[in-house]
Amino acid sequence: MRLPPVLRLVVRNFTSNLDPLTILIRFGQPVITIVVLGTMFSSIISSNVTGGSYTAFLVPGMVAFQMITGGVISGNLFWLDRRWAMTEQIFSGPFLRSEYLGGLVLTTLLFSLVGVGVMMLVGLPFIGIASLSPLGVGAVLLTVALGSIFFAGLLIALGTRLRSANAYFSIQSFLQLFVIFLSTVYYPITSRTPRILAATFYGNPLTYAANTIRDAFNGTLGRADLVALGILAVLAFVAFVSAVAAFRKLDLGPIQ
Amino acid sequence: MSSSLAPVLETRDLGFSYAPGRFAIRHLTFDLRPGEILGLLGRNGAGKTTTVRILTTLLPPTEGTAVVLGQDVRTGGRALRARLGVVLQSESLDFVTVERNLTLYGFLWGVPREVAKSRAEEMIELFELEQARKRKPWALSGGERRRFQVARELMHDMEILFLDEPTVGLDAIARRRILRYLRQRAQRGLSIVFTTHILHEADMLCDRIAILHLGRLLALDTADALKQRYGGARQISVELTTPLLPELRAELVRDLAGQRAAVVSPAEAASPASSVVLRAERAEELLPWLSRWIHGHALEFDRMSVEEATLEGAFLGMIGDDASEATDGGSADAGRPAGELVRRAGGGLT
Repeated sequence: MRLPPVLRLVVRNFTSNLDPLTILIRFGQPVITIVVLGTMFSSIISSNVTGGSYTAFLVPGMVAFQMITGGVISGNLFWLDRRWAMTEQIFSGPFLRSEYLGGLVLTTLLFSLVGVGVMMLVGLPFIGIASLSPLGVGAVLLTVALGSIFFAGLLIALGTRLRSANAYFSIQSFLQLFVIFLSTVYYPITSRTPRILAATFYGNPLTYAANTIRDAFNGTLGRADLVALGILAVLAFVAFVSAVAAFRKLDLGPIQ
Repeated sequence: MSSSLAPVLETRDLGFSYAPGRFAIRHLTFDLRPGEILGLLGRNGAGKTTTVRILTTLLPPTEGTAVVLGQDVRTGGRALRARLGVVLQSESLDFVTVERNLTLYGFLWGVPREVAKSRAEEMIELFELEQARKRKPWALSGGERRRFQVARELMHDMEILFLDEPTVGLDAIARRRILRYLRQRAQRGLSIVFTTHILHEADMLCDRIAILHLGRLLALDTADALKQRYGGARQISVELTTPLLPELRAELVRDLAGQRAAVVSPAEAASPASSVVLRAERAEELLPWLSRWIHGHALEFDRMSVEEATLEGAFLGMIGDDASEATDGGSADAGRPAGELVRRAGGGLT
């Protein structure tokens, strides 16, 4: 049976660019964070601050983190395809630009959602699933999916603009660092958080994602989460449209 | 190759400009017949790669038309590309072993798994990639990578194969092997567009050759016809039974001037010589005249031979060996009237 072009591209993305070591590191890093950071900080951070154990606070953050992992995977796949002239080679075959982009987005989603599964499996002994309803699971998956599309779109758009590997990977690393540490992935916003930092946190989509996922885990989903999902959906749409626009104008020739 | 069948590719006044007035190619009109191997020959920046990219729908033309397998390249899109094979000039690789790369590429093209497996084996053997089978692209030599790229493209079925400098970096044996295989495929009906800098291999492989210079098509014909027409001056060697005396040499020099030919050796007018070497623009046409001249001066010759015409001679005759290099960004020359460029064609006596 012949698979549709998008699915063939997804299989190719996983086969050609995602070696076992990369996958291990991508999923291993947040797992280590949950186990080591969670355990060590649980003993020194008051549960009053995090509303429970620090590990229980951290797990939803690491689930939200998967949207960056997926987005980065997609951005890197695209960059490497460009660098090694595979975009041009693929487009000399029976594929459309939209299918290639679709393949990247689907790869991102699959990677992120598998990541969500891994983080939840690792986090279960720490947090339990008592409060996670089917609606909560849906909210977690939707949040990560929208966030992944946002980061994938952003990095693909960036990848179309830059012609230097150093520039691309430096910006990508900086962006990751910036987005992760200026969000509520690792710590909550409290009354003692400096205003400017709090404002920056709220300008970061990862904050909305982490908060929504945390509420889903705690069974406290509410109107604010709906608004957060709406914001994420808009951001994902804008980033994806930017990627499509940049991609349409892209000279397919390799980067030298 | 069948010249009676309808062309599988036809361009008319095809052009591409990167910016207003900066044409990479212009006024290209040629065709490709079923089972034919057409060589695109030219210097760096001549427009070969741009032409291939347009014909494979990677780049939309800004002027003229190109119809490939009955479809306009502007609108043919995926349906057209599904019937083409393209080996691009740039190295393109996936980060898996050579063997996996081949089957993966087959998978991408929708080749059934079993067919892809057996075809991969065939390609590995044909392109001598057995040693490289389990290696990843970065562990391959330059020649292996190029062989791999050609092999990979042959994993799927196609009606026209575009090869943009496929033999760069290959040793003579590998090159010969690939060219022989391409010839066999053409005999089985595959039409091929082949770009190269290597004149000898174009001569060996191509049914017809299009010579591009600064984005313009200077000539399109068989290699033999190009050699005859543009081969420029060639040497004629004559072995006389008796030495040519200085006064007869002087007379020969005078008479040859009217024939667009000159004496190369003996260079000195003072000493008699039995071996005479001439240089003539139309060497074959000069032979009867020369024979009559020798007999008319009571001389005899043992042997008279003409240096074989080469494609290189024709190529250099056409573009001139001091032709200015076109820039990557395209050439303003491509916008000139064809006659202006063609007037440079035809080497003079040196």
